[in-house]
Amino acid sequence: MVVKGLFYTDQHEWAKVEGDIATIGITDHAQEQLGELTFVELPDVGKEVKQKGEIAVVESSKAASDVYSPVAGKVTEANTQLKTKPEIINEDCYGAGWICKIRITDKVSLENLMDSTQYEEYLKGL
Amino acid sequence: MAIKSEKGAFIFEPANQPPAGSVLYEEHLKLTDKSHIAEFAGYLMPLWYSSISEEHAAVRQKAGIFDCTHMGALEVSGKDAEGFLNAVATNNVALLKSGAAQYNYILDAAGNVLDDIIIYRRSADKFMVVVNAANEPKVKAYLSALQNGKASTEGRQIKIAPVRDMRDTKSGADCRVDIALQGPESVEILNRITGQCVRDLKSFTFLEGKIAGANCIIARTGYTGAKIGFEIFVHPRDAAKLWRRLIEVGAIPCGLGARDSLRVEAGLPLYGHELDGPYNISPFEAGYGWAVKLDKEFFIGKAAIEKIAKSYNMKVARVELSGEKGVRPVRQNDGIIVNGVCAGWVLSSATAGTRQIALVYAEKDKIAEGNAVGVYYLARSESQKAKGKKESVKKGEKLEPEITGKIISRFEKF
Repeated sequence: MVVKGLFYTDQHEWAKVEGDIATIGITDHAQEQLGELTFVELPDVGKEVKQKGEIAVVESSKAASDVYSPVAGKVTEANTQLKTKPEIINEDCYGAGWICKIRITDKVSLENLMDSTQYEEYLKGL
Repeated sequence: MAIKSEKGAFIFEPANQPPAGSVLYEEHLKLTDKSHIAEFAGYLMPLWYSSISEEHAAVRQKAGIFDCTHMGALEVSGKDAEGFLNAVATNNVALLKSGAAQYNYILDAAGNVLDDIIIYRRSADKFMVVVNAANEPKVKAYLSALQNGKASTEGRQIKIAPVRDMRDTKSGADCRVDIALQGPESVEILNRITGQCVRDLKSFTFLEGKIAGANCIIARTGYTGAKIGFEIFVHPRDAAKLWRRLIEVGAIPCGLGARDSLRVEAGLPLYGHELDGPYNISPFEAGYGWAVKLDKEFFIGKAAIEKIAKSYNMKVARVELSGEKGVRPVRQNDGIIVNGVCAGWVLSSATAGTRQIALVYAEKDKIAEGNAVGVYYLARSESQKAKGKKESVKKGEKLEPEITGKIISRFEKF
């Protein structure tokens, strides 16, 4: 499942941009591949991150996977609900399963991202 | 940890082949998304259909079926079959009665474990040998090398018997592949589609008869720790039909994920993890010394493994940790910490309900049942490495554990 209006990376992260804040998460394809998540390592608020820089780690019983930031900026908020309920990502990866919010410092970086149509095409090619 | 010896070692270079679908591949595509299918031992196999935890629970509470058609099945036959197997395998094959099965190891002359296998005796001079999918090419090459005098028998003259691949469709009507049915409802499920009296089959015995019209070997063996479970060996042309029939009468299809979490929970070893592998773990360290009969006159690798039996100081143990959501899972090669010092490593781990079970390899005098042990998580990401998290740990290193669990019994039945 791909949601319209979001930006996507080739590493299966999404970003929803509202003003200069981007909400970040992993895509449905990513959570399907990982299976049931049991642990999420969240970024500290205030952390500065480059585009494609490491922002979180998601782990299922079978695999650990890095999450890379779709945008460059500074973390303003992390979804602390995921600390005890990582399965929210499996249940609602584009909604309640968001990972963190980032204040975008470099809007040009958005140009490197895919839109939903491009990401859908990308998934077909995998 | 035993040092890999070159002398008498059987060296095998596997051919690089693209993965192929198992006999049941089309059935898997009907039951799950292609993204849940992955390569394993050269086969495209399902990781899960619904979810690992649901399938795990299905086997513990009801009954699950597993595609094990990728497992190797070899026939060893003729008047010298028993003699050949008794030289090649560590357990006492001469004591194996017709209709019974026996757990065994194949060692090379250097004492390295080439595979763990189950030998089924079908008659006085006919055996079925079930080997790990990942090791099948190696085992076939090894047996062939022994037949041709190309592998070390430590200077002994051993009996030689013909070996036939039972999964090869050229094998004819008695060609066989493995489908496992495991869990407490297995007997009821089988009774719905067979007149065979499977209820009375004891553990590690089997019978030959029809299920849903197909000739089968029905064995009370398995790899899930279920007290009740079967492996059904059927002709590949009947495999998909039997698979569908078993699902129709209540069996729940389970993928490789649950297969692994069930065997870890039960404490059963996986070749390459709890046996052989990077730590070169011997059967004695794995907790299976009983399957290596040192009182047997001869088997290949006996002299080498006798030394290991006297000198080993590491063992495989089972550790219980919290498996609640939000607890970071432990992983292979994470450090086992006793009193602030690294005493070994995690070999395999799995989530089972609200607990995590880890199979670990650690100094044997530090892992008595009931002891508390800690785990040091290795770095999982670049930023953890940057923060000073280690990528590997050595025995004897001083480390602070990040999660604590306790040693529980080596095995568990469900």
